Amino acid sequence: MLERNQPVLLERVYNMTNAVDVEEYKKFKGFEGLANAISMDNEAILDELDIAHLRGRGGAAYPLGKKWRHMYHSKGTPKYIVCNADEGEPGTFKDKALLEKDPLSVIEGMLIAGYLFKAQTGYIYMRGEYRQIQKIFQQAIDNATKAGYLGENILGIQGFNFKILVISGAGAYVCGENSALLNSIEGKTGRPRVKPPHLADVGLYLKPTLVNNVESYAGIPVILREGGQAFLDLGSEDGGGTKLVCLSGHIKNRGLFEVNLGTPLYELIFSEKYGGGSSTSNPLKFIHFGGQSGPIGAVDELEDCIYSYEGLWDKGLSVGSGAVVVMDNQVSMIDYLVNVAEFFVHESCGKCTPCRLGTTRLMELLKKFQEKRAQIGDIERLEKMMTHVTHLSACGLGQSVANSMKSGLKLYPEEFLAGIGKEVRKLEEVSW
Amino acid sequence: MASLNLAEKEAIILEHESDPQRILNILLELQFRSEEGYIDEETAKLVADRLHLSEARVYEILTYYAILKTKPQPTYVLKVCNSSPCHFSGGTMVMEVLENTLGVPVDEPTEDGMFMYNKIPCVGACDSSPVIKIKDTVFGNLTEESIIQLLDDLRAGHYENL
Ligand SMILES: Cc1cc2nc3c(=O)[nH]c(=O)nc-3n(C[C@H](O)[C@H](O)[C@H](O)COP(=O)(O)O)c2cc1C
Ligand code: SF4
Ligand code: FES
Repeated sequence: MLERNQPVLLERVYNMTNAVDVEEYKKFKGFEGLANAISMDNEAILDELDIAHLRGRGGAAYPLGKKWRHMYHSKGTPKYIVCNADEGEPGTFKDKALLEKDPLSVIEGMLIAGYLFKAQTGYIYMRGEYRQIQKIFQQAIDNATKAGYLGENILGIQGFNFKILVISGAGAYVCGENSALLNSIEGKTGRPRVKPPHLADVGLYLKPTLVNNVESYAGIPVILREGGQAFLDLGSEDGGGTKLVCLSGHIKNRGLFEVNLGTPLYELIFSEKYGGGSSTSNPLKFIHFGGQSGPIGAVDELEDCIYSYEGLWDKGLSVGSGAVVVMDNQVSMIDYLVNVAEFFVHESCGKCTPCRLGTTRLMELLKKFQEKRAQIGDIERLEKMMTHVTHLSACGLGQSVANSMKSGLKLYPEEFLAGIGKEVRKLEEVSW
Repeated sequence: MASLNLAEKEAIILEHESDPQRILNILLELQFRSEEGYIDEETAKLVADRLHLSEARVYEILTYYAILKTKPQPTYVLKVCNSSPCHFSGGTMVMEVLENTLGVPVDEPTEDGMFMYNKIPCVGACDSSPVIKIKDTVFGNLTEESIIQLLDDLRAGHYENL
């Protein structure tokens, strides 16, 4: 049994004095999940993961149990274990805390995957901005190797061999997309691949590959130590566990919080325990969920909203990476969206036209509204372009560019109307 | 910072086992330890040679990733986070103060070659916005005064490791 409101993922982050020390890690129940795993049937491990109902913490919320089962049954060797530590979604800094202050939990999660899938090589792909943390993580790997938790015949089990390589990114948001990430590990430029096939069948070097987020891996030892049901009970029916939430923007207590999925959103934003309300003297206006690729909600309309996967989906929102960016009423939606569009123009990898040109067109259109020189018909043009980019782009980047824009337009149409220049008059159209 | 000699560069490559999978680790390390903050032609050639890649591949990689540079950089490149959490909580103020104090627009070096500032996406320090990153160091919760102080301190050489 785990108590709600107790930190599970951040316990060691808060309390360990030396994050890379294996002995200290063990004092905080380190490697107990692994010990349980090796005493269980493989099917029983998969069952616990299903019961826990951990949804992928990288943003897509795909059930981890399902992904692992697919991987378990996929044919082909060797199999590879990859940890996505690219953490590129603006407003997100939760993987950083785990990588820096509790790297061994991520290693343990990857190691359990290695054991289950009989994989011998793991990779952690960490963003270039976290160069110093790459070094810390490497130390944790070295210490785990010395202590016999990585290397050959781990824990004396013949043939249980596993090593982890730290691969650096170098400043490309799209490399967080898992197929682009694999290309980048292969030493290619990090552009996405055409999918399907599923990476669990055809992944790194065309071999079955598991890609999960840092926080997802850190949850694995908890599940195998405490049981799937205990993990589920920390969250809600539609997604178990606690979620690391990053509060930023105009909120008093900016920072990282471990939150039980199922917590009321207003508690998260306004209670002193979490956000503490507005940091400016102005009321809060809107919240951007899950990073730049996520949707936006109006604070006033979210009083009854529950911070859980389904609670947010019900409102057309999503958990995404766990970023919660809060803005006060001095921020114009149009200015905000121009800033978001600039990000995507910068980060589009250029492989496919709808995204390469579409993101630029979207930014240009939004700027017309910002500079109050939009014309009659530009709202329709914007909507059409959003649909075009969403449906025709090849990867998740292009497909989600318009999420924030769609919600912004829906919530604040008057701001868009105000962007239509006064001198522009609608001419009467005649049939011809 | 003195520039790396051949042996030092080779040591960095060997530390990563001349592994093409780790080309970004290698290039970043070489760049961070270079005198002018970029990968020069000679270094790019060396990496291509030791990793058994074509030079064209190495250049393709160098130009694709935002952190990697193929031209000499000013002594201090001030990277201002421009993603929305920062941009709307002081980020624009930082840009204005830098423009006014340094007297150059974004992306242009000062005449003495000492400073340049540019916009970069989120560095993961959103709880300390607004932020400036120089190499691996993040300066957060900036105000007009603290930015001017930072520039003075940099000029006076108080940050030897940057
Ligand atoms: C453009 C783009 C960027 C992404 N960036 C990240 C990232 O930085 N970190 C991450 O874990 N997942 C990221 N993802 C999601 C991954 O593709 C993938 O779904 C995830 O790593 C799977 O792990 P999970 O199921 O444990 O979340 C990104 C997706 C897209 C489309
Ligand atoms: S959608 Fe955008 S980022 Fe994705 S492959 Fe196409 S151009 Fe690249
Ligand atoms: S948004 Fe600026 S550091 Fe994250």
